[in-house]
Amino acid sequence: MSVRLMRAVETLNNEFVQRWKEEGKKIVGYTCSYAPDEIFHAAGILPYRIRGHGADETTIGDTYFGPFICSLPKCMLQLAGTGAFGFLDGVVIVPGCDSMRRLDDCWRKAGEDIAGVVPQFFFHFAVPHKFAAYTVDWFEGEIRRLIEAVERHFDVRITEERLRDSIELYNRGRSLLEELERMRRLPAPPFTGAEALSVVIAGSAIPRDAYNELLEEFIAVHRAVPRGIEGRRRLMLVGSASDDTAFVRLIEGERALVVADNLCFGARFHNDRVDEGGRDPVRALAERYLRRSDCPRMYGDYRRRLEILVDTIRSASVDGVILQNIRFCDLHGAENGLFERDLEALGVPCMRIEREYGPLVETGRLKMRLDAFLERIDGQGRTA
Amino acid sequence: MRRALKEYHFDWMLHSTYDAASRLMAGTEKEYAHALRYIPYFSGMLDAVFGIGEPGRYFIKTCAEYLKNIVTARERGRKVAITSFCFSPVIFYAMDITPICLEVMTVFLTFTYRRGSAEFLDFCNEAGFTETSCSSQRGSLGAYLAGIGVDIDMVVTDTPGVCDTNANAFAFAAEWLDRPFFQLDMPPLLKGERYDRYHRDDYRALVAFLEEQTGTRLEAARLAEVLRELQKQDELIGELEEMGRIVPSPLPPAFTLLNYAARFLFAGMKPCTDMLQSMLTMARRNAERGVSGLAGGVERVRGFFCYIDHYTYNMRMWRMSEELGISLQGNILSRNWSIDAPHVKENHMEESAYSIDLTSLDSMIDSVAIMNSRMPMIKSIRGPFDAPDMWLEDTLSLARMYSADFVVYSGTPGCRNTWGMLKPFARETEKAGFPTHIMYSDAFDDRVQSWEATRARFEEFLKVRRILA
Repeated sequence: MSVRLMRAVETLNNEFVQRWKEEGKKIVGYTCSYAPDEIFHAAGILPYRIRGHGADETTIGDTYFGPFICSLPKCMLQLAGTGAFGFLDGVVIVPGCDSMRRLDDCWRKAGEDIAGVVPQFFFHFAVPHKFAAYTVDWFEGEIRRLIEAVERHFDVRITEERLRDSIELYNRGRSLLEELERMRRLPAPPFTGAEALSVVIAGSAIPRDAYNELLEEFIAVHRAVPRGIEGRRRLMLVGSASDDTAFVRLIEGERALVVADNLCFGARFHNDRVDEGGRDPVRALAERYLRRSDCPRMYGDYRRRLEILVDTIRSASVDGVILQNIRFCDLHGAENGLFERDLEALGVPCMRIEREYGPLVETGRLKMRLDAFLERIDGQGRTA
Repeated sequence: MRRALKEYHFDWMLHSTYDAASRLMAGTEKEYAHALRYIPYFSGMLDAVFGIGEPGRYFIKTCAEYLKNIVTARERGRKVAITSFCFSPVIFYAMDITPICLEVMTVFLTFTYRRGSAEFLDFCNEAGFTETSCSSQRGSLGAYLAGIGVDIDMVVTDTPGVCDTNANAFAFAAEWLDRPFFQLDMPPLLKGERYDRYHRDDYRALVAFLEEQTGTRLEAARLAEVLRELQKQDELIGELEEMGRIVPSPLPPAFTLLNYAARFLFAGMKPCTDMLQSMLTMARRNAERGVSGLAGGVERVRGFFCYIDHYTYNMRMWRMSEELGISLQGNILSRNWSIDAPHVKENHMEESAYSIDLTSLDSMIDSVAIMNSRMPMIKSIRGPFDAPDMWLEDTLSLARMYSADFVVYSGTPGCRNTWGMLKPFARETEKAGFPTHIMYSDAFDDRVQSWEATRARFEEFLKVRRILA
């Protein structure tokens, strides 16, 4: 069972995706956690989070993007250009940041040179940068625009009833992920941080009902583990989009354990629910997806995000925090600077890393810094 | 940052420099020439500006006045707001708030000092901000983070959804300085009831924020006064832009800079009107005589800068244009999207433009909201570059209208927003028949690429593409 989850992370066109396509059903990829999965599920479409995993070069990405751009969208475009996302029937681009916004332009332009890389359904889905009554109104309108476009293009109906069912199903998944997070924070967690991240990422590439079952099974199996992992330094991983489990394995090595994270591919977006009792499920989706504001793209909400980190650090007994950002990711990079200032003032050791997305080409450098960081924590004792 | 630099109050340092410069031309020519010898690093910039004539003098005087407002804000009981170049300052002036435009302050530095803004840029990194972010804000932000500028009361920006890198700088500043923050948010498209409503709702939230910060209400009479002045300015800019179509262009290259600088500093205020009026008088005189605005009198080619200019030390970009005989046909900053602007009428872009309705406070707030959503960059670099009303359409229509022989991109490596789609963009402008040159330099930081290298590559482009044989 764990193996099936792990495979779903390591393989873009995983067994669930293949079976879904064999059944003649549609898949729509999206680029950011602000895209509401429930809409697609209610339409009978598999929502699939687009990643850059497996790109070992960026020649296609570099053809369209300029040089000063984050490597995540470049890797995504690289994979798209090589046909790795050929199973997608549609793509939703969410302008999470400047670089990701321009994936829209560059992917479409790549389509002029490489036949078939742009699905017929290609949708620019905007998300406001703050939470207020009028921004929720606007975002609700944007979700309705998405619903109309999906219905029109795929010739489906997203009924209120189906939407409510989808919300319930995804909320169930969020409850399970929350349980996973609780187990991860135990004094002796039954699985590693790399495993935890894999399990969460798998959810973005597997049909949700099947995923919930696998997740339940994973939790049940690991709840029964007699003795968890002890004697390691407990770390938290924070910052830019990171779906690279090898990176987490590198961090953990033999001496550390990533017991918590604040990543958009990880735990950041799962510890809340869509209101199931409201009169309008679309409004409920708009409120849930915008309210959390856990990404630094939501400007002016730093203090709340700091509180989330501090709460997590305390509840997970974190010894140190790794603040990482992909080069040219200024949103996370700058916020990491603030986190470092404020967390260190609270006595929490922090390490800032700037890295590239994709293959771990900097293993030696990172390992050396990680070792030094662990030595610092060892010397300091638990301070959080 | 060097300890010695921290000994100088940042805003006072700039104010003293420009205030002294504004009085340089008060004496005889001999005195002026003599004075330049004592300011070897500033003399090139001043000579370039004063060389334009009366508009140049207005420019320096206007800069000095802007800086004076900043350093005297407290004693005049004014609140101070850090803001961005693409945020119209009219609302600040209507509410007696003193704006500090970070990008403008950075240009003051880069124009004036040989070392440019390097140490302030780098101080931002010391404070935890990223070195990959845009140099246009960082250049002066470092001074405020270091605590050597005036006290800031609030931070206001309008770039989320347009330039997230820019917005991020303001959010960081607000947090670092522990000051109230407000963002105007921009959806990806411009036109339509849904987008208009969002802009208006958002702007009303801004007004409420400013009222809360100042403890005063926005008064209709005061806003009307500022907007009436703005209408005059729009007319003057419209006429100047119309004159840019004449071949040879009667506008000196530096008019592109003066045009937007006037608005960024004092939109809706008299100093801006005076400066534009002076520019127009000179342009009319040149047009009547049928002469080029270039100092050499010969327009060899016409270039359109599709983004921003190059601002490092001594105004070398404009001086190079003069030397090479290039008429600059503006850039994204120098365009005004008033409904009466020549390019709006010519290209039937009325729906993308703004008009001012002075009927009531409500109508005025709506007008300013829509106007602000049509500010440089805010208007045309928010959504996909090839969408209607966006960067490509604007660039091509303007380059055609102003008979540009080529297009140049000058920006900063921190500009994720444009570098994200610059290659496809340039491919389209080339396809449309405009040889397009991409400058890989940083418009605010010569350490990225020296001006000499930037110029050499630009001249190579002109030669290889046989634009300037």
